[in-house]
Amino acid sequence: MIFWSLVEGLEALLVQKKFGRKVAVLDYVEPSPQGTAWGLGGTCVNVGCIPKKLMHQAALLGSAIKDAQHYGWNISQPVQHTWSVMAQGVQNYVKSLNWGHRVQLQEKKVKYFNIKGSFSDPHTVRGLTKAGKEIVVTADNIVIATGGRPKYPAHVAGALEYGITSDDLFWLKKSPGKTLVVGASYVSLECAGFLTGIGLDTTVMMRSIPLRGFDQQMASLVTEHMESYGTKFLKRCFPTKVEKLENDRLQVTWKNADLDTEETDSFNTVMWAVGRAPDTKTLNLETVGVKTNSETGKIIVDASEATSVPHIYAVGDITEGRPELTPTAIAAGKLLAQRLFGQSSELMDYDNVPTTVFTPLEYGCVGLSEEAAVQRHGSDNIEVYHAYYKPLEFTVAERDATQCYMKMVCLREREQRILGLHFIGPNAGEVIQGFALGIKCGATYPQMMKTVGIHPTCAEEVTKLHITKRSGLDATVTGC
Amino acid sequence: MAQRLALQRLLSLPTRGPLASHGRALGTSAGRRSTLNVQDGSDFQDRVVNSPKPVVVDFHAQWCGPCKILGPRLEKLVAKQEGKVLMAKVDIDDHTDLAIEYEVSAVPTVLAMKNGDVVDKFVGIKDEDQLEAFLKKLIGA
Repeated sequence: MIFWSLVEGLEALLVQKKFGRKVAVLDYVEPSPQGTAWGLGGTCVNVGCIPKKLMHQAALLGSAIKDAQHYGWNISQPVQHTWSVMAQGVQNYVKSLNWGHRVQLQEKKVKYFNIKGSFSDPHTVRGLTKAGKEIVVTADNIVIATGGRPKYPAHVAGALEYGITSDDLFWLKKSPGKTLVVGASYVSLECAGFLTGIGLDTTVMMRSIPLRGFDQQMASLVTEHMESYGTKFLKRCFPTKVEKLENDRLQVTWKNADLDTEETDSFNTVMWAVGRAPDTKTLNLETVGVKTNSETGKIIVDASEATSVPHIYAVGDITEGRPELTPTAIAAGKLLAQRLFGQSSELMDYDNVPTTVFTPLEYGCVGLSEEAAVQRHGSDNIEVYHAYYKPLEFTVAERDATQCYMKMVCLREREQRILGLHFIGPNAGEVIQGFALGIKCGATYPQMMKTVGIHPTCAEEVTKLHITKRSGLDATVTGC
Repeated sequence: MAQRLALQRLLSLPTRGPLASHGRALGTSAGRRSTLNVQDGSDFQDRVVNSPKPVVVDFHAQWCGPCKILGPRLEKLVAKQEGKVLMAKVDIDDHTDLAIEYEVSAVPTVLAMKNGDVVDKFVGIKDEDQLEAFLKKLIGA
């Protein structure tokens, strides 16, 4: 059995080994256009979730330092942040994870090849080692988990030469300085968020709506908070060219669609966060007949992660129609291995997968957005309970809680099953995780109301939601 | 005893054992390098596995905080042993195959090697007394 890279691949093959199968893993990182490369573990470990969350934490600590004064700490403001110290700490931790993965493979006796593999036939993969030696691996089953890479905009002069992406941001040795982040994705907002938080002059340029695919009311609250936090937004704008100036700064020119004007400004760094695409060109999928979606390039799989070719499977970001999340990829990989070699027939359940956007004020959610619920059931058949609340910790610190908000979308009929839960506030991921279990079990509004809250927390407000949107009443939480 | 040794060193006479036919110059302990950074697999073979003297091998990584504390501490104590034991340092990212071969999982991992065999090992940070005991055991055994 060959696995092709990434964390979910590693998880699956560890299950494999439990069943006494011979397993090999092929992992290779093509350096980014700017030359950044990394070790074993995939996007999440190296250029995604892990470094992102650590840098987000660095930014949050900055806010905490500001709050600390109100709580009696004598800290002279303003406090400075040194990029290189943070970057070194984050990069060291990531490298320790690379090593940890390598050790795991060794302990489970998985053969590891650091080669860029491509298919030569449905059961054979070949590639060259760094030394130029060709390695050929054959297997009964092959799982492709090569993930995706950030896209570069197609029609912007200078985009490739002068811009960076999230592949590069986390590995920068020097501060990115005044930064323009182009995109409206969670990658864009999360990165712009922590860059702002560590004190850098940061601007987000969005062509249209923020966080496409997420609940739009919540998305607006997220960007509103970012604006009050200090991130600049260029809304309904798109870049036309990037040029390098004499002092090494980058001159960006863009069109403002609303005002129908052309504007320009200079930045130290331009980061593209305009989407991710799978890197399937070099895999040679056509040769073996693995079908991909012509628009996205992603591999088409069925509910059992099987591709159009028997014994070739795919999991993770490279698959069409799946959430691009680490936990779903890992779970899918594990279940696949159990189905192939254990006696299991359990398929991956992609419903009600919780997730969190780690912007300065975090947004966690599970289940349907309000729009999706309305579309599926009709607005007359759903009830939305909501509340604006203020985290206790914000009070003494005199922090603005305007965007601290939550809503629960339920069916209106007798049982009142909860369809979706949305929470903006500190530690949103921690808050939503537990509720995801309830929703998985089919929790209802009456059951939620029977659940006693923990006091004082933000999460308890979920158990107390009772004002409906329909009533038009003021949804601000008062009291204790 | 110490005075006699000092006097002998001053006169560049061998303190004991084989004569200078080995081509080894006798100098003060400060001048002698008892630590080597392993360059590659064959370097490890030559200077560690085939070493006539016992060697402590310090497997470390650039990203490992405790390694940066243990390394110098170990070097200092090895130097104190006056050439009876050598020290080799292996960066596990530069020499992953070697680290895997010697079953290194966490770092720092220190192996005590004698005549090509691993005779002792520890993982993690140790204080000076513990390191001294570890080295003495290797030299003595």
